[in-house]
Amino acid sequence: MPQKRKLKYMAKKYDAIVIGAGNAGLCCAATMAKNGFSVLVLERNSVPGGSATSFRRGRFEFEAALHELASVGTKEDPGSVMRLFSYYGIDIDWQYEKNAFRVIADGDGGYDVTMPAGIEDFCREMERSVPGSFESTLAAFKLGAKIGAGFNYLSSGNVDPQVLFSEHADFLRAVSHSVDECLSSLGMPKKAQDIFKTYWPYLGAPTSEIDFAHYMLMVDSYIRKRPAMPHLRSHELSLALEEVIVKLSGEVRYNCPCEKILTKDGKAYGVIAGGEEIYADAVVANCFPDTAYKSLLDPEAVSERALKIAGARKISSLFFSVYLGLNRSAEELGIKDYSVFLFDTPDSGEQYERSASLDTTSMVVANCLNCAVPDSSPEGTSTVFITTMLREEAWGDVRPEDYKKLKNKFAKKLIKLYENKMGISLMPYIEEIAIATPATFARYLGTPCGTPYGYELRGWDTMLCRIMNAKNEQAVENLYFVGAHGERGDGYSTTYANGHSVGEKIAKGVQKNGRS
Amino acid sequence: MADHNLDSLDPMAFTRLIPTRESHFAAAEARIPADYPANRLAAALHPAYQHLVVSEVKAETKDSRVYTLVPDGDMGCTSLAYFDAGQYLCVYIEEGSVVTQRPYSILSSPRDSLCGFYKICVKAVEGGFVSNHILENWCVGTKVRTSAPLGEFTYEPLRDCENVVAVCGGSGITPILSLAKAIAEGTEELSLTVLYGSRLEESIICRQELDILSEKCENIKVVYVLSHEEKEGYERGFITASKIKKYAPEGKYSLFMCGPEAMYKSLEGELSGLSLERKQVRREVQSECFAPAPDSPVSVNITVKAHGELKTVAASGKDTILRALEKAGVAAPSHCRGGECGYCRSRLVSGKVYIPEGLDMRRLADSRYGYIHPCCSFPLTDIEIEVFPKR
Ligand SMILES: Cc1cc2nc3c(=O)[nH]c(=O)nc-3n(C[C@H](O)[C@H](O)[C@H](O)COP(=O)(O)OP(=O)(O)OC[C@H]3O[C@@H](n4cnc5c(N)ncnc54)[C@H](O)[C@@H]3O)c2cc1C
Ligand code: FES
Repeated sequence: MPQKRKLKYMAKKYDAIVIGAGNAGLCCAATMAKNGFSVLVLERNSVPGGSATSFRRGRFEFEAALHELASVGTKEDPGSVMRLFSYYGIDIDWQYEKNAFRVIADGDGGYDVTMPAGIEDFCREMERSVPGSFESTLAAFKLGAKIGAGFNYLSSGNVDPQVLFSEHADFLRAVSHSVDECLSSLGMPKKAQDIFKTYWPYLGAPTSEIDFAHYMLMVDSYIRKRPAMPHLRSHELSLALEEVIVKLSGEVRYNCPCEKILTKDGKAYGVIAGGEEIYADAVVANCFPDTAYKSLLDPEAVSERALKIAGARKISSLFFSVYLGLNRSAEELGIKDYSVFLFDTPDSGEQYERSASLDTTSMVVANCLNCAVPDSSPEGTSTVFITTMLREEAWGDVRPEDYKKLKNKFAKKLIKLYENKMGISLMPYIEEIAIATPATFARYLGTPCGTPYGYELRGWDTMLCRIMNAKNEQAVENLYFVGAHGERGDGYSTTYANGHSVGEKIAKGVQKNGRS
Repeated sequence: MADHNLDSLDPMAFTRLIPTRESHFAAAEARIPADYPANRLAAALHPAYQHLVVSEVKAETKDSRVYTLVPDGDMGCTSLAYFDAGQYLCVYIEEGSVVTQRPYSILSSPRDSLCGFYKICVKAVEGGFVSNHILENWCVGTKVRTSAPLGEFTYEPLRDCENVVAVCGGSGITPILSLAKAIAEGTEELSLTVLYGSRLEESIICRQELDILSEKCENIKVVYVLSHEEKEGYERGFITASKIKKYAPEGKYSLFMCGPEAMYKSLEGELSGLSLERKQVRREVQSECFAPAPDSPVSVNITVKAHGELKTVAASGKDTILRALEKAGVAAPSHCRGGECGYCRSRLVSGKVYIPEGLDMRRLADSRYGYIHPCCSFPLTDIEIEVFPKR
């Protein structure tokens, strides 16, 4: 149903301009629009969403990125995403999965377990697989609640160090120690730890570096609040957000790359796009800081400190994904699981180490959307989406003429690996195939190496560090960065939250300072 | 029983977080990499535009010519984007107030692009705007702007059978010719049987090249089918299921089809006789839709917003919205012009449109949120639309 809206002329001056319509860009714009701001969103591609999109091949529409959206919850027990969407007045047709995940790890101490959602059930299943692990697993989730409380206390803006150290000591421990350190300290049996660390690929860094607080918040958001999928792929989410912006008189322009961010006396005051200057009190970049420093800002506008901050950080994981449209139903093929992690070793550290080369495939996630959204492909068909993560080093220079062979060779390896480990045949049923490599993601996202994950999370570059130090790290006045490279790292729920909170901050700030 | 707590860890470590962070910044170089391998590859494969120049024109048949395009050094273009056999270039044309573009399949081989040239074949289309413009105006030295290579009509080794039967009509031979060359050069690995339909012997395009390829390479067979002429050494009539069966190899094969709408129409009934699975049948768009609803209005108004500018233009309900806009001088975006690629995606703000059956290849959420593909949508009422052309 086309919306009942009237076309209007575009203004040349906005309260805010958002460069990039990814998750964070859309939420930032929607929140500012909700606060009465006039906003303009510029998007390079012909569709919104960045990673959060879908694409068609033949009679299939593939989900491009989303494995599962954390923090959705239900109408009765909403998570942060559902609450944010209600604030926007968005109603999404959510579809839920039965289980959190299945994980198959080969090698010494390997396992094949299917973990349910819900904390009680999760802990019980852990106990069944690893006797003696119930208490420590439950303790981890209890810490999850304390970590949440700690973050809330810190962000209350009214922090008494005494209270912080006496009442939030566990929170302080969790934000300053790694997943590995904390799980060992909890006395969790090794095998249970390995299973517990299954989600590390969602943060793209080794569990020796990710701080326990961040990891626990994520695990908690998947296990406590039910993860869900939108009925019509991520494109539904991105369009719902876009509609909020447009209905509140915001503008979204596609095929419209920002060519320059205008600055004067160290302050951003507008952009150049489509050959024209457009002005704004605030400029929000959903693109990578590196990209902005290199090609959007005048070199003089970028401080040495900003370059050092960018220079100190490492690009997070790269993706290689194979999308298969199959001419048999999931049932006919024998696929029962929505989401399966396939590891060639139980140790998460080694899984990460081995992702530095195309010769190994130590970490693969395979999803069959039909198991979560049964009608996501035509009757009698199904889709399988196989993804592996690579470290930056794994993708070297590839000559254009070698690219097709290389990507097909690697895709075949992934499909074969799935077939062997799952005992399920896919090859003869491939009706449509799309292969996305780091170069594909680089093409559509424009991020360094095509990473959808921002900067790698390191012990010294954790979510909390990023949030606490944000003020000291703003490169240019009136210019804000949002996205996976931002304070909360990668993921849908986190980039939504990041965009929203920066949008609120700008709205409050501009209200205080008055508009120019 | 073990105590399940974090007591063994030091909460004061928290106080060291920010100092440690600052020390990492202090120690870093104030420099970010100029470029990354994946981004370099993406840029090489998908430049926004290519500035080319015509280096050779060859009359192919009475109504078609082959143009050789090379990089236009004067415009800063030094190399061509590599491509997969079967892809096309969008050629941009500006003539008077009309700004438009058309897809043309590349008939030269992927390897040729590394040697610095593409070839496309332009066949006259009755009443056609762009094809006739090109045939009348392009000569050696003409500057041409194109897109990067685009399109999905390619051989996919993990999806397609090792044997491919290609059914082509008229200029539909071009992507298959590129595929045949790629086979001969070792770029693609498959066996190809081409059934190539033409009206007359003299209207066969690239005859010589096809003959040389099939002679040289045992993986390539070409069968010529003439619809309007009886001649020895040629099949006679239209391409039918029985002709396909006669020349198809033993066992499974994929059927690649490329040609005018009339060819697809006549093949529709034939396919059922071949007992092929849907995955074995691939089809290139190669033709625009000219079939409005029977009760389409004679004239409507289209209010269009592009680049923030509003304009109202009069249009015929017999034209797709894309064509109507182009005729009115609105530079609307398009690539495939057949509903498939989604590049023309536009926001329908108000009004009703007709989308012919089988051409609605929008994303599901696009349909729900009021987005259409103007290249295959016809106005049924006055409409308001927002388009997003690239500048
Ligand atoms: C294969 C895959 C699987 C994933 N699985 C999950 C999952 O299961 N769960 C989960 O939560 N997350 C998942 N993610 C990660 C998640 O998608 C990303 O972390 C998140 O979408 C990043 O959002 P962002 O806001 O940073 O925007 P991005 O997606 O990075 O988008 C940035 C936007 O800005 C635009 N842009 C850039 N430069 C310019 C410019 N100069 N002018 C105009 N526009 C510009 C880009 O075109 C793009 O649209 C996955 C990602 C991938 C690729
Ligand atoms: S131009 Fe490709 S869908 Fe319209």
